[in-house]
Amino acid sequence: MKYRHKKNGELDLFKIRMSDAKLLRDAVTAISTLIDEGTFVIGPDGIKLRAMDPSRVAMVDFAMQKTTFDEYASDQETKICLNLGELLKLLKRAGKDEAVELYLDEGTGQFVITIRGKYIRTFRMPTLEASEEEQGLPKITFNAKVTLTTDGLRQSLEDVALVSDHVRIETDGEKLAMNAKGDIMGANIELKKGSDALLSVEATEPSKSTFPLSYLSEIVKAAVATSDIVTLEFSNDMPIRLDFKQTYDGTLVYYLAPRIEVE
Amino acid sequence: MGVNLGDLVPKTPVDLKNLNRKKVAIDAYNALYQFLAIIRQPDGTPLRDHRGMITSHLSGLFYRTCNLMEMGIKVIYVFDGMPPALKEAEIKRRSKIKEEAQIKYEVALKEGKIEEARSYAQMTSRLKDYMAEDSKHLLNCMGVPWVQAPSEGEAQAAILRKKGSADYCASQDFDSLLFGAPVLLRNLTISGRRKLPRKNVYIEIEPETVELAKLLKELEITFEQLIDIGILIGTDYNPDGVKGVGPKSALKLIKEHGSLEAALPMLKNAEFPVEPRIIREVFLHPKVTDNYSLSWQEPNVEGVVEFLCGEKDFSEDRVRKALSKAVEGMKESKKKTTLESWF
Repeated sequence: MKYRHKKNGELDLFKIRMSDAKLLRDAVTAISTLIDEGTFVIGPDGIKLRAMDPSRVAMVDFAMQKTTFDEYASDQETKICLNLGELLKLLKRAGKDEAVELYLDEGTGQFVITIRGKYIRTFRMPTLEASEEEQGLPKITFNAKVTLTTDGLRQSLEDVALVSDHVRIETDGEKLAMNAKGDIMGANIELKKGSDALLSVEATEPSKSTFPLSYLSEIVKAAVATSDIVTLEFSNDMPIRLDFKQTYDGTLVYYLAPRIEVE
Repeated sequence: MGVNLGDLVPKTPVDLKNLNRKKVAIDAYNALYQFLAIIRQPDGTPLRDHRGMITSHLSGLFYRTCNLMEMGIKVIYVFDGMPPALKEAEIKRRSKIKEEAQIKYEVALKEGKIEEARSYAQMTSRLKDYMAEDSKHLLNCMGVPWVQAPSEGEAQAAILRKKGSADYCASQDFDSLLFGAPVLLRNLTISGRRKLPRKNVYIEIEPETVELAKLLKELEITFEQLIDIGILIGTDYNPDGVKGVGPKSALKLIKEHGSLEAALPMLKNAEFPVEPRIIREVFLHPKVTDNYSLSWQEPNVEGVVEFLCGEKDFSEDRVRKALSKAVEGMKESKKKTTLESWF
């Protein structure tokens, strides 16, 4: 790729081009629901980011393989920490079918975003101190696995949010139930095998856990643009794993810690 | 007072809501002094009960602690014990400032300069023994644990963190860092809108953390060198420091020469009350104890009401409301988990 060369003939750390900026914008939207600043690891195979939110209640595990991009060149791993709110503001400037190019200006340490549409716009933003710690994944044995439409999940959560701040997600291997109990109102939602919204359900033992809607609803709302199908994995009083199937070659997974009902 | 590391220190803002279930060891004297200074009437008169005993410290301690409990934070108060002999000069110096402030306060009051009177009054705050006893009694009623340090509270708080009994050490003073506190939490007890002294300007004070390891890494110095920098600037044990040496020049000197002793030939006017190595020793090996036990109990509501409302003339309605919010918050906090439990 000819544009990857700097003036002095050296190669840039990375140079990335995506012909439709929407994919990247939706991904950053999904990530930024949990964190304000994020460290992207830009490696030979693609971009990834894994981080917990500041209260350590939830985690996002994101990856976009290099095949998703129209042009992708990165020989080594580069860590770039960015303010996601600012990044999103810039990405939102790209209209439909406008291409976006990303690279790091090593001289100034600035992250450079070029939007190529009817005219060329170049934005520069500062890079922040990247976190050095490699974020591991929580170790959980899941007893239940349910696949449903992302929209079905979003609507169910909107229903239960009317009566409570948290929702109990429950399955016996036959159906998925979402229950909420407020001070004066309650809501019960059932997705049975064979319904349009529920694609598959399996459980090695009946499982139920309660989760704060302040997180769960926000996660689903943020991910819905990127995904039509979501797989939930959970057990009794354990974190839930939400795997949003991406339309491209990549991963968007969230973990959310449960709320323990102590009497 | 404490060492003024100022701009050398990398600070990270922290949202107290994210400290659910975290154990925070608070420098009790530091907090009580702040309450005594801040909680006053416009002309500088502190709150008092019907017998004329000051209650500003109890008001601050009670409402702030309730507030932290409501957010699910598990607080521990660490009380100072006998100050090290080295601190005598500093204690005398503070005492003198207070005596002078007292005179100025009375003059300002007589002349009807209310604003001025208030800021002098704030400087007269003295923490009497009965106030510490009051505070411990209140904490017992509230079910909040406290630790009696053999000497400096900040040193003891650092030990609590090192032993895993606390997650954060809370104080305004950077001395905590010199005592080896791995994570210092500042502005915990005074966050919110605060008036700048002698100015009609308000600023928003937000809690922030300072990580010792990050500080050392960023400044590229060792822990011992940080202590040397503190001694050059001035600590409680040599309040004057070295004339003309501020945080920036202290850092430069220590980085250039390696240690305080090696930098001394550059500083012809440097005077220390004792050999600097003795001051360094207080920070490196402070008097602390591991003989403490911590447990958080349900508040004894009637006990608190009897003490604060019966003896100290607090509003019963307000006290009960604050307590019930605190109890509710602690209950709620037990239901919240973080992913940390699953790694």
